[in-house]
Amino acid sequence: MANAGNDPVALWHNMLGEMEKGFNAFANQAMASPEFSKVVNQVGGVSAGAQKQLGDMMEKYLTSMNLPSRAQMTNFGERLAAIEGQLAEITTLLRLSHPTPAEHAAPAQHATPAESVVPPAPKPPRTKRPPEPARK
Amino acid sequence: MNAPSGLDLSSIPERIQSEVQRAIQRSIKGVEYIASSGPSLGATPKDVLHKRGTMNLYHYRPVADEIYRVPIVIVMATTNRGYILDLVPGQSFIEFLLKSGYDVYMLDWTAPTPEEKSLGIEDYVLDFIPDCVRRVQRDSGETDVSVIGYCFGGVLSLLYGAIFSDGPMKNLICFTTPVDFREMKLFSNFSDRRYFDVDRLVDSVGNVPPEMILTSFEMLRPASRAASQIQLWENIWNDEFVKSYRMFDRWATDTLPLAGEYFRQITKKLMWDNKLYNDTMEVGGRPVDLAKITVPFLHAVAEHDHIVPYDAAKPLVQKIGSTDKQEVILKGGHVSLVAGANAIKRLWPKLDSWLGERST
Repeated sequence: MANAGNDPVALWHNMLGEMEKGFNAFANQAMASPEFSKVVNQVGGVSAGAQKQLGDMMEKYLTSMNLPSRAQMTNFGERLAAIEGQLAEITTLLRLSHPTPAEHAAPAQHATPAESVVPPAPKPPRTKRPPEPARK
Repeated sequence: MNAPSGLDLSSIPERIQSEVQRAIQRSIKGVEYIASSGPSLGATPKDVLHKRGTMNLYHYRPVADEIYRVPIVIVMATTNRGYILDLVPGQSFIEFLLKSGYDVYMLDWTAPTPEEKSLGIEDYVLDFIPDCVRRVQRDSGETDVSVIGYCFGGVLSLLYGAIFSDGPMKNLICFTTPVDFREMKLFSNFSDRRYFDVDRLVDSVGNVPPEMILTSFEMLRPASRAASQIQLWENIWNDEFVKSYRMFDRWATDTLPLAGEYFRQITKKLMWDNKLYNDTMEVGGRPVDLAKITVPFLHAVAEHDHIVPYDAAKPLVQKIGSTDKQEVILKGGHVSLVAGANAIKRLWPKLDSWLGERST
């Protein structure tokens, strides 16, 4: 096998790593200047304002078309996930308080993968001690 | 032509064959990569103990036969999702804690809604964290809790710990938590008060968009994204590499927006006035004195952290009032400190040995 010093693949990796480091260092140096901050914030301020205006305009447009915006859909998705979580909790509690006759007979065998709402196991005792060598 | 010294000419055909095979694999796996979704993350079984707006409190189901008396509450950074601490089985910090016998709760965040733009630091420190701690106390039946804060979650935990210094916090662990914001030099320059009009920004956008947060993180290492994509292409034949890349890339780009008022306060109080470092910080009119934190304290920092440089995190341990306090500097970066192969062999066992003996 070629050693690392002559292996073209290793050399390429090395060069890539060095280029990345060099570029990052150079960019960091440039970005540390007050001039950079000034320019970025001027551009960023304008762009944030424009983005906001565009977003507002799009939202109005989507509302007029009776369509939801991305933010509304994301929010909707998150709320749906929260509702699913709460439903799972409620189902768990219901199962715990009203087990079906089948669950009475063989609780574990009736749980299919689709019924992922497994009642939480009884809480373990809080008696654990650290392993012997770690104890003070 | 002579071969350069050290180059074994007989290995060249073998090397070419291997590279050709990899090139074929890249084409096949490249199509698979585009067509498939990434690994399922954050799948350790958990119950949602409470949800209120941007705040979510999870309880992970214990897996050990017996657990330590003191439960853990993890306070996640407000810019990112908590599943970085619960990647896939075998690479999940949460799974590690559960298997090591801890009772684990997590305070995680979702995107604040437009109605939550007025949330400020005081909502997080005086309302969300104490509310969650009360719920953990009720659920676990224990008065004491250990708090672990990651990055800005660490800052929120510090503020909570200092204000409620006679509260239920038994141990405090911070992962890569800044305290001297002047030393976050690039962030400091990006938010230079002479040029950065935070009021105008917040007043115009409401919540600060995640793209802006992501861009500011990526600007710290502008070449790294391109380099990592080249690396991905080179290693796309390697399933393990691709899985790991997808996990971290998905998390890194899954940035959360920040509540407008909260962002304004962070900029003014921490980035501009460096109040936490100068001991002039207050939250909702309540003074913050880090010296009032007297519980056992551990601060884990990363040697090559480009987001929270060591100099920004270094003064923290000095400022804490505890006699039982420790700073550990570990190899790795801001994310690899807590997740991935580096964390599995460095931070996790260190944390377990430190916290285990303080959790009974």
